[in-house]
Amino acid sequence: MKASRRSSWIKPGRVGLLLMGLASASAGADDSKASRIQIQGFAAQALIGTSHNNFFGDSQNDASTEFTEAGLHGAWQVRDNLRVSGQLMYRRAGETDTDGLRLDYAHVDWRFLQDTAHQTGVRIGKVKIPYGLYNETRDVPFTRPGILLPQSVYFDNSRSLVLAAPGMFVYGGGLHDWGSTEWSVGAIRPDFDSAAVEYNFLGNDLPGKLKGQHAFGARFRWDSPSDSTLALTYANAQADYAPSALDPFSAGEVDFSNLMLSVQHRLGPLTLTTEYGQPRVRLRGFGGFLPDSESPAETFYAQGEWRFAPAWELLVRHDVFYRSRKDRNGRNFEALTGLPAHSMYAHDTTLGLRWDATPSIMVRAEYHRVNGTAWLPGPDNPALLSRTREWDMWLLQAAWRF
Amino acid sequence: MNACYKSQQTIMIRRRVRLFFWPLLALLCCPLDTLAGVIAHAGVELRSLSIPSLRNIYTLRQTQWPDGQPIVVFVLPDDHPVHERFAKDTLGIYPYRLRQIWDRQSYSGMAGAPIEVRNEIEMRTRVRSTPGAIGYTSKDMAHEGIKTLKLD
Repeated sequence: MKASRRSSWIKPGRVGLLLMGLASASAGADDSKASRIQIQGFAAQALIGTSHNNFFGDSQNDASTEFTEAGLHGAWQVRDNLRVSGQLMYRRAGETDTDGLRLDYAHVDWRFLQDTAHQTGVRIGKVKIPYGLYNETRDVPFTRPGILLPQSVYFDNSRSLVLAAPGMFVYGGGLHDWGSTEWSVGAIRPDFDSAAVEYNFLGNDLPGKLKGQHAFGARFRWDSPSDSTLALTYANAQADYAPSALDPFSAGEVDFSNLMLSVQHRLGPLTLTTEYGQPRVRLRGFGGFLPDSESPAETFYAQGEWRFAPAWELLVRHDVFYRSRKDRNGRNFEALTGLPAHSMYAHDTTLGLRWDATPSIMVRAEYHRVNGTAWLPGPDNPALLSRTREWDMWLLQAAWRF
Repeated sequence: MNACYKSQQTIMIRRRVRLFFWPLLALLCCPLDTLAGVIAHAGVELRSLSIPSLRNIYTLRQTQWPDGQPIVVFVLPDDHPVHERFAKDTLGIYPYRLRQIWDRQSYSGMAGAPIEVRNEIEMRTRVRSTPGAIGYTSKDMAHEGIKTLKLD
């Protein structure tokens, strides 16, 4: 299912048509302007080990090599106010992501109002979803604060939901004495279509299919003249469940929404970051095996990055995820379902070191001490009862860019 | 600073004293860690630029010159000493932070990353030949066919 949907995006016919359309659009433009094409890319490989549980592959018994990322990014400034960008991406992340090569995003950006201090435009296509501070570049290792993003807020186990999707975003920006502002508002068709997403929202990979219906997103961002950042993100997405032939579950509905606050403050070489969100997942109409429910989750982390030398950076982070604010320790959930309480929360303390060996080569090491299994990737740990509450994880990553 | 820039703008004087007075003068009025000079394509209709404007240009937030022409931003490699000085002393932003800002904007398709040149010679050549270009060099002197922008 997933493959067929994705392939419709990278069908050669469609790409060819897009290129032809762009070529004709640029025909009237000045040569020197039409040739403004930029290509950049990266590749990264990680090694992951865990004391218990699996993260991105069989990390428990062996060092997992199943976390690989590579991207080729291109942008073409067709005209002064028209820009086309896209990224081809290869990603493997244990059993949660086995899709290999895919079109990450591709959009046309038309900036219809522009002067030295203001800009307003629209992005149409398979668009990146504005979500918190790191989401739009979450697959570029160099842009992340660590090898892994804080799993509470950026949940890798259902990342497809916030990654990129067909739709459009209207955006604007302004420059003022008190800093710069940036806003975007848009509508997309969200991508719920993966086993990992089903694990996250429905607790298991159900026999039927979860299909994204529509989603709305908005973000406002302010960057102060001293390079501190304040951002507010809102997202709401709906999906319908299409049961298979002999499905114990009926045609239910998933509604996900989140309001998130992001704050980043810079003190010289020190960067302090925190993001707090209250995602809400509502399930309706799945029948007796999956009663209607509403879980008001809570996600937040606090993080410090210290560039103590031009090429070296230290990371300290504490990341917290509660599946339900009404049941933070998961005891009610355990009493009700018999499933482990620790699947309702996760506390992750992270220590990381980054070394930029050259401007194009980066090496990182990271240690996680985790209490709870709430964001463990489901497909890597299919047996709910054999997950362990307290576990450690170490990661090594080498990344190259051009 | 200002005196230093003015002295270089008076081309007649500079030509006469270039041989041995100029280096002495430069030492006296500009400290050894002199700020990098900001250069632009000759067609750019500006004489001076405020530091906040320069910062907006180099963080890719201001993408047009006042006359509507698109700005083409040139940079030296992240670990080039002149880039380090330009970033820290002129812009007041660490080089690694600049790179983060460029990555965020370029990989999300919001703006084009600055064009990286290998050295100062290439910097001058590209700025001279690219309409709307802005760049910087270590030597605070005029180059033929390139505009030096005063910072205020």
